[in-house]
Amino acid sequence: MHRTARRVATRLARHCTQDYSTRQAVLEKNAQINAFVHIGPEPGPSSTPKTGPLADLKIAVKDNIATTDSPTTCSSAMLKSFTSPFEATVVQRLREDGADVVGKTNCDEFGMGSLNIYSVHGPTLNPFDPSERRSAGGSSGGSAAAVAMGACDAALGTDTGGSIRLPASYCGVVGFKPSYGFVSRWGVVSYADSLDCVGVLGADVPVVSRVFERISAFDTKDPTSAEPELRQLASAYTKQRLQSMTRLEGLKVGIPQEFFPAELSRPVLDRFRSVLRVLKERGVRLIPVSLPSSSYSLSAYYVLASAEASSNMARYDGIEYGERRPPSSATDLRSVASVYAQTRSAGLGPEVQRRILLGTYALTSDAFDNYFLQAQRVRQLVKNDFDAVFSLPNVRNEGVEDDPSAEGVDVLLHPSAIGSAPSLSSGPNPSSALDAYVQDLLTVPASLAGLPALSVPCPSPAPGEGNGDDGWPIGFSLIGQWGTDSLVLAVGEAISSAMR
Amino acid sequence: MLARLLLRRPCASHIQYRFLHAGRAGREDPRWPGYEVVIGIETHAQLKSRQKLFSHALTSGPKEQPNANVSVFDAAFPGTLPKLNPKCVDLGLRASIALNCDIQKRSSFDRKHYFYSDLPTGFQITQQYAPLAKNGSLDVYLPDQPTPATVRIKQLQLEQDTAKSTFIGRTLASLVDLNRAGTGLMEIVTEPDLRSPEEAGAYVRALQAILRAVGASDGNMEEGSLRCDVNVSVNRAGEPWGTRCEIKNLNSVRFMQAAITSEIRRHIDILTSPNPIVSQETRGFDENTFETFKLRSKEDAPDYRYMPDPNLGTLVLSEERIATIKRTLPELPWETRRRLLSSYGFPEKQVDTLMKLDSVKDVPLDGETSTIQGPIQYFDALCEGTKRDSKAVYNWMMHELLGQLTSRKQDFQSNTLTVQQLAELIDLVQGKILTGTSAKYLMRHMLSNPSNQPTKQVAEEQQLLSPEQTQEVKGASLVNDLEGVIQNAMESMPKEVAALKAGHMGVLNKIVGRVMKESRGRADAKSVKEVIERVVSTTP
Repeated sequence: MHRTARRVATRLARHCTQDYSTRQAVLEKNAQINAFVHIGPEPGPSSTPKTGPLADLKIAVKDNIATTDSPTTCSSAMLKSFTSPFEATVVQRLREDGADVVGKTNCDEFGMGSLNIYSVHGPTLNPFDPSERRSAGGSSGGSAAAVAMGACDAALGTDTGGSIRLPASYCGVVGFKPSYGFVSRWGVVSYADSLDCVGVLGADVPVVSRVFERISAFDTKDPTSAEPELRQLASAYTKQRLQSMTRLEGLKVGIPQEFFPAELSRPVLDRFRSVLRVLKERGVRLIPVSLPSSSYSLSAYYVLASAEASSNMARYDGIEYGERRPPSSATDLRSVASVYAQTRSAGLGPEVQRRILLGTYALTSDAFDNYFLQAQRVRQLVKNDFDAVFSLPNVRNEGVEDDPSAEGVDVLLHPSAIGSAPSLSSGPNPSSALDAYVQDLLTVPASLAGLPALSVPCPSPAPGEGNGDDGWPIGFSLIGQWGTDSLVLAVGEAISSAMR
Repeated sequence: MLARLLLRRPCASHIQYRFLHAGRAGREDPRWPGYEVVIGIETHAQLKSRQKLFSHALTSGPKEQPNANVSVFDAAFPGTLPKLNPKCVDLGLRASIALNCDIQKRSSFDRKHYFYSDLPTGFQITQQYAPLAKNGSLDVYLPDQPTPATVRIKQLQLEQDTAKSTFIGRTLASLVDLNRAGTGLMEIVTEPDLRSPEEAGAYVRALQAILRAVGASDGNMEEGSLRCDVNVSVNRAGEPWGTRCEIKNLNSVRFMQAAITSEIRRHIDILTSPNPIVSQETRGFDENTFETFKLRSKEDAPDYRYMPDPNLGTLVLSEERIATIKRTLPELPWETRRRLLSSYGFPEKQVDTLMKLDSVKDVPLDGETSTIQGPIQYFDALCEGTKRDSKAVYNWMMHELLGQLTSRKQDFQSNTLTVQQLAELIDLVQGKILTGTSAKYLMRHMLSNPSNQPTKQVAEEQQLLSPEQTQEVKGASLVNDLEGVIQNAMESMPKEVAALKAGHMGVLNKIVGRVMKESRGRADAKSVKEVIERVVSTTP
């Protein structure tokens, strides 16, 4: 009890007294948290005052998103001194809108990891209570921590299988993974292209919504960018539904039974129940639903993401850019592969190497049918499951003319993670590497289906309650039909304010 | 050997007719009696597009400065994404239609992985699982066979070309040029329907002609924009097909035929040895020894780990787009040939000459209509309407114009004489306003002094029009002019005139020649002769 009180006091003190108006202050605090790997210069007084819809916001950018004024390392030794010759579309849009880009944030190497421990810059500490040395989550751990420590108003992250929602849950901030294709990936370093999404982390839903609305736009440079017609169609359905809804009254929320696995901790369940209680009081209809294929999601995700990763990582050979390890005297210079192996062995970290091997195996001609194709089938089943429970149709499916069905739900609700932030002191070891994958259990289904998903902090347990609860942040997640991003954000904000 | 070949030939062709309709059956070849040969060809043809297949970088010719046309995507920079160039798809569709393929309304792209310095991303984007077009065919004519061999096209797919990497043995270093990296290629795969090295050669030539005609590729093997991989197997007549071997990267028809011949002989040597087992291999061709050599065995074949490209999705083609390409498809070689034969009534030899001349014209980028006319278009334009005799046009264009261009060390593509100018020249000759000799002189003058002036105007300036015409135009007497010229000529050749007067008629032509030269051909040689004879006979 004493500990919890102290922690709450620390949090309050931090938010009230700490001043991050200068880069120097960010720099000093960051020395402990390690959220930033690069902090940009103070916007000088000589520079013309910024104007634009985001001119009042300080925004941090994950270090796997290309910027021309600072390195883009992806937390990899391979790119430790790499500066991109071009800027990502998202960063360009932020700058055009007047945002102050504070710096680049720490992450797991190339986005591969759930604890932000696989970084050449070292792990990011969870700012909730740095003395406990807990993980900020990953892979966008630096972005979540930067927001949680108050160094910026919002941060860009990327989410391939939960990399925004998981750290948001662990750090006690809001994290939003938009519909696949809503935010341009031009300049975003690929981990697994068919899953990668750029999203936003922030202290509350309104700031996340503000930033998201500015970066969500069709981009001809991204072949997977959602076409304007599709956006309009989805937005029409969303508007219609939002108009017929007064706050939470009449909202239909599905609770997917597969999202409560044995690994889910007791405190998470308790806090999730308290959220449900609030919703019920506000007239929300809670509907149990089933997404039967979700239980295969994690396996399918790791096959597909690793296969794409093994392909995307092939370009890091030290020839055109990046670090290069000169071949040793024993290297056969006539074999290109053995020359590359020197650089790749030295420049790519253990988790990246593990996924390259996993993905390479899944793509070999002997394994392809049983692994890759099988995982693709599961992915389709997962999509079908989601389409079956939502009332709004998936406008990405061909020949959609369905009217919204009266049966389905508006959004799905589930805990964001199986527990609170894990401790960093245990350190990575071979057996925990697989355990770490379980962290993504609840977040990967929405990734496989490309759906918008938002993690919002659950209220802390009242003093005296919360049996076994360590008081650390835990989030709940909302998932919506593809393209209904504004519905998910509106519902998220309505629930947050109902809980205040 | 040659005699035997000639003797057997009629018999061999006869056998082929019988089996032609039963599919491509093997046929007896006097070079390897008792054996049958089965050949299939994979051709990689560079798309003649302005920009690369997935980036905005320009495509490069062989003389381009290394690494001049490279985008961040081509160099595989992190964060870059492909963007399909619709012009490349259109060119691929033109080739597919010309090859009678079934266009696939939905096709997709896959990644083929391997590590090599010519591949910056570590994978090549190709169409392994769902190609752009399937099930086509191409009729191949051989000079000694009246009916064509129909070669089935298995598929046509779009893919990226690689960079160019050159290994320097002395320094053990590779030089990499990314100009070619990401240029669009078509891979065109035949079924195993070819039966001899000559058929294989004829197929590649026919394919080249088609790709050039529709503007899909310039098909230039010397510059590497068309390369072939050939699969060869040999079996004893009547037995099942043998084990195939693939010969990679053949860059001329001559080398391809030599490689196939060498490979056939190698297989037969193995089949007649005590251990008659041909092993499946990938082989190269040595251009110095004219023999194939082993690159790798089947066991060493790399696993390319094909994966659907997660960025490019499905390429969906509308009925309308395909119809537009079909409607605007340029004339195909056999259509041109048929038209030239029927509408001008030329013998085949002349049509072939014209088509051969046409086959070296430049292929414009992105399938655009060229602003420079090819020889056949030039010819068609000259014959437009019916007033000009096509045989006269052929002679003026193919003999006189081409001859003069050749003597000036120019090719047809650098011809500056416009269709209008040559048409007018031919008309002036046919209307007897210009003599043939004058016209040839005039053409030489116009090629040396290119201008847009009408031919008649140039002819007037050069005082080349025939006497009647000049009199009409200027009202002056050319006869007087002509006599002046003759007078001058005779005065400058006193010895010849003396000889002529002495009865040596042989020198007459020499004096006439001088007059013709002085008058720049506009005089009529016959009347010049008469005038000279008259002058000689009337002067003491």
